[in-house]
Amino acid sequence: MKLSFQKRKDMQGFGFISVWLIGSLVFFMLPLIQSFIYSFFDIRPDTGGMTGSFAGLEKYNYALNEDPNYRTYLIQVLKETLWKTPLIMLLSLFTAMLLSQKFRGRTFARAVFFLPVIIAAGPIYNIISGNMASTGNDGGGYSTMISADLLNSLMRYFDIYGISEQAALAAEAIANDIFGIIWKAGIQILMFLAAIQNIPASAREAAQIEGASGWDYFWKVLLPGVGPVFLACFIFTFIDSFTDTDNSVMCRILDMQMDWKYGEASAMAWIYFAIVLAAVGIISAIINKFVYYEVE
Amino acid sequence: MKGFGKIIVSRQAISSAIWRIVRFLILLGLGFIIIYPLIYMISCAFRMPEDMSDPTVIWIPKHLTLSVIRETMEIMDYWKTLCRTFFLNIGCCLLQVISCAVTGYGFARFRFKGRGLLFGIVIMMILVPVQVTAIPQYMIFRHFGPFNLINNPLCMYIPAAMGCGIKSGLMIFIFRQFFRGMPAELEDAAYLDGCGAVRTFFTVMLPNARPPLLTVFLFSIVWYWNDFYVSSVFFDKNQTIALSLKNLSSLLSQTIFQGLDVSVREQVVWLEAGCLLAVMPILIMYIFLQKYFTEGIERSGLAG
Repeated sequence: MKLSFQKRKDMQGFGFISVWLIGSLVFFMLPLIQSFIYSFFDIRPDTGGMTGSFAGLEKYNYALNEDPNYRTYLIQVLKETLWKTPLIMLLSLFTAMLLSQKFRGRTFARAVFFLPVIIAAGPIYNIISGNMASTGNDGGGYSTMISADLLNSLMRYFDIYGISEQAALAAEAIANDIFGIIWKAGIQILMFLAAIQNIPASAREAAQIEGASGWDYFWKVLLPGVGPVFLACFIFTFIDSFTDTDNSVMCRILDMQMDWKYGEASAMAWIYFAIVLAAVGIISAIINKFVYYEVE
Repeated sequence: MKGFGKIIVSRQAISSAIWRIVRFLILLGLGFIIIYPLIYMISCAFRMPEDMSDPTVIWIPKHLTLSVIRETMEIMDYWKTLCRTFFLNIGCCLLQVISCAVTGYGFARFRFKGRGLLFGIVIMMILVPVQVTAIPQYMIFRHFGPFNLINNPLCMYIPAAMGCGIKSGLMIFIFRQFFRGMPAELEDAAYLDGCGAVRTFFTVMLPNARPPLLTVFLFSIVWYWNDFYVSSVFFDKNQTIALSLKNLSSLLSQTIFQGLDVSVREQVVWLEAGCLLAVMPILIMYIFLQKYFTEGIERSGLAG
């Protein structure tokens, strides 16, 4: 049999992905399907594997209606992700813009701002934030020192113009959680910074010659320039927040697993995953409408 | 007219000076929030426990001591755990980088049937939380043929080698983005010179892929270092730094507090010392390799 060169070359692609393909089938797809099946069963660990009897949608019912914590946690995580994601995005874009400018000590400043990238995940972060809360030195404590007082007085000032109480409360919540927000923005800052530096210098020059102000430059050159990264960054933030092993839904699922309630745990994980997937899909469709791609 | 020009120039100078000060203050403020826990860690780790409840002590401890660090090291079995974590980390990361690079190249440069569908699996790997697949994975390694691989480092190595380690999906994605952007002429030239696909990959493409290789390697080290979830599924003892840090609180209760149920508040010094010990190795690595983080991301096509 003689295949054309192109055909033969294409077949070699299978060779390159074959190791991964086998691996992902065994270690990813199979477990994925299995956990989906578990969620319909009364599963108990047994010698030599899992045994169980079919339970229909009972586990899903349990997760949504009977479990004392799951639904509360789910709503809490969703809410938190929804208001934190835009804030993290804005903050990281802003910080990346600052860090892309030329000033003395820039290397040091960058090193500091990327620090969360290496620490923010895992038990270290847990202990850091937990400890500070327990000794009163938590984020709330010192952000009051820095910003909340200022913010409150600003709010009081705005109150004259009838800004509602809720806005003030929201602002306070943000000020109290500034620690969590900044610490989750490390990779996003990195990505935005890279995108800003990829904007060709000629674009900036042209804008300057045309007499664009900094404001114009931001809206007409910089923002479209980082557009594609915006989507990537958004999805990253979103997924990072959802799959964070410290968030309360994840902890609940882990607790269930520790209790050997695999059916319930799988059902919970799948409900959660379905919601995440739907949210990512909808929001990326919306963002994609506004993004300008230079290639493709 | 001359005077007018001067005024404009000086106004610009003033506004840029103001901007510089504002920028400095903003960066200082945000930077302080990031550095704060580190300073706090250092401040706590070297003080006697009673300094914690002394209200006159905020930053600088009255009784400097190394005993807390020493005790924490003993409880965590630090050097042994560090060694084990280190080997596990480096091994997994190297395997992961290679397997992901090969897979990413396969997806980027060959138009085989079902590529779109298979790439869907990669996207799924990015999206599906580990928790969903953790239990069945545990079962796989629990009954791995005739062997029980739980508590064996192999159950970290094997997935890493097959491109299914921690966050492998993301890494395959990064490599695919990068290789897609490489000029096709490079490959064609290699083919004309009689290189097969495998040799082309290893001698032409891989040496040119330094930026994503570095990025992925560094991130992979960080993620494996901080991971406690996957390792807590596969290991039931405190085999890695992250795991022993996670369980430090209960370990402390057992040893120093002799089984008494104490609040986290009383354990702060030891916990902070543990944090410091856990952060140190990776922090040192970061200080030396800091510039590669940025450089790699800029050129690996992750952003764009």
